[in-house]
Amino acid sequence: MPYPTPSGDFSSGHTLLVRRNIRSGQRVYYPGNVVVMGDVNPGGEVVAGGHVIVMGALKGMVHAGAEGDESAVVIAFDLQPTQLRIAGYIARPPDKGDKPLKKPEIARVQDGVVVIERYQPGGEKRYLEPGNLIKEEDRNG
Amino acid sequence: MGEVIVITSGKGGVGKTTTTANLGTGLALLGKRVVMVDTDIGLRNLDVVLGLENRIVYDLVDVVEGRCRLKQALIKDKRLENLYLLPANQTRDKTAVTRQQMIDLCDQLKEDFDFVLIDCPAGIEMGFKNAIAGAEKALVVTTPEVAAVRDADRIIGLLEAAEMEPPRLIINRIRPDMVRRGDMMDIDDMLEILAIDLLGVVPEDELIVVSTNKGEPAILDKRSRAGQAYYNISRRLLGEEVPLLNLEGNEGLVAKLKKFFGLG
Repeated sequence: MPYPTPSGDFSSGHTLLVRRNIRSGQRVYYPGNVVVMGDVNPGGEVVAGGHVIVMGALKGMVHAGAEGDESAVVIAFDLQPTQLRIAGYIARPPDKGDKPLKKPEIARVQDGVVVIERYQPGGEKRYLEPGNLIKEEDRNG
Repeated sequence: MGEVIVITSGKGGVGKTTTTANLGTGLALLGKRVVMVDTDIGLRNLDVVLGLENRIVYDLVDVVEGRCRLKQALIKDKRLENLYLLPANQTRDKTAVTRQQMIDLCDQLKEDFDFVLIDCPAGIEMGFKNAIAGAEKALVVTTPEVAAVRDADRIIGLLEAAEMEPPRLIINRIRPDMVRRGDMMDIDDMLEILAIDLLGVVPEDELIVVSTNKGEPAILDKRSRAGQAYYNISRRLLGEEVPLLNLEGNEGLVAKLKKFFGLG
């Protein structure tokens, strides 16, 4: 499935695969995308120049598009971050939130706000903005 | 060759010292030769909890600095034949010992004992690094509080980074009544975050305060629920399969009647 790749920086398209849990006090930084096969616990941090995908529970701090790419997204199987940042936007969960959904969700910036939605594989593609899709196709030839 | 096990938590006050004292006593009750090492230099407590304070002549720092032989610093427990304590120094600080000295000390102790239990200080600095230096295994103690679990998670990360074998978890001071009401984190919540094997659960028990102040480990008191839990954990350390304590088992007659009439 094509994901929009953040544009501009030297390592866009490069992805770091982290095959462990990110525990409190641990920090992962990578200029490209980051995929975590595990959980990001409270007190842990993932900072990526591109997208962040967490194949597990995301309960720590996450910053996608840390170099300023507003098209970066965060996807997690269980999205409950202490704080979620995309480029210069900072979001945090409401102080009195609903019960966690425990279903994959996606966070992205839309019209200047961070929007979080159910992630439906192969279904919903609204987050793939036309501009990004074209760029991706160009790159793939 | 014995096993060197460090008992650690990150956060202070969750029961590392109490756990060390009780597991040391438990393993000794089960016939093993055990030494407990207090590495909390400057804030020593383990001797007090064991009621051995007035027998200290030499300590850990004296040993590593060569002022006495290891055998001279070991204090024999007043109740059990095969239980020993190596106390911490109270006048110095954590910088008095180096990692290499701890490794050498542990190597020496495990020649002579089946179990070397290391009581780790709170924190993640030098004292912690020294305490884990010579250990092969780790037990992480936490209480059902968000802050304690967060610190336990941090500690597990540091133990993983130190390439120790995966630590096992002891959940201390759980209150079944509060868990049932949803006012306290339950065991599954903690295991979900920490993702390590559970070694045991110790219920909150007033007798712990009494036994700690008296210098008699609770495991020696047959009435103590926490003592029973520690005894079971000791048996699990020896590889026995022991089911978790039934935490509901201690409710009084009134609670049972209430439950019977559907009021509980």
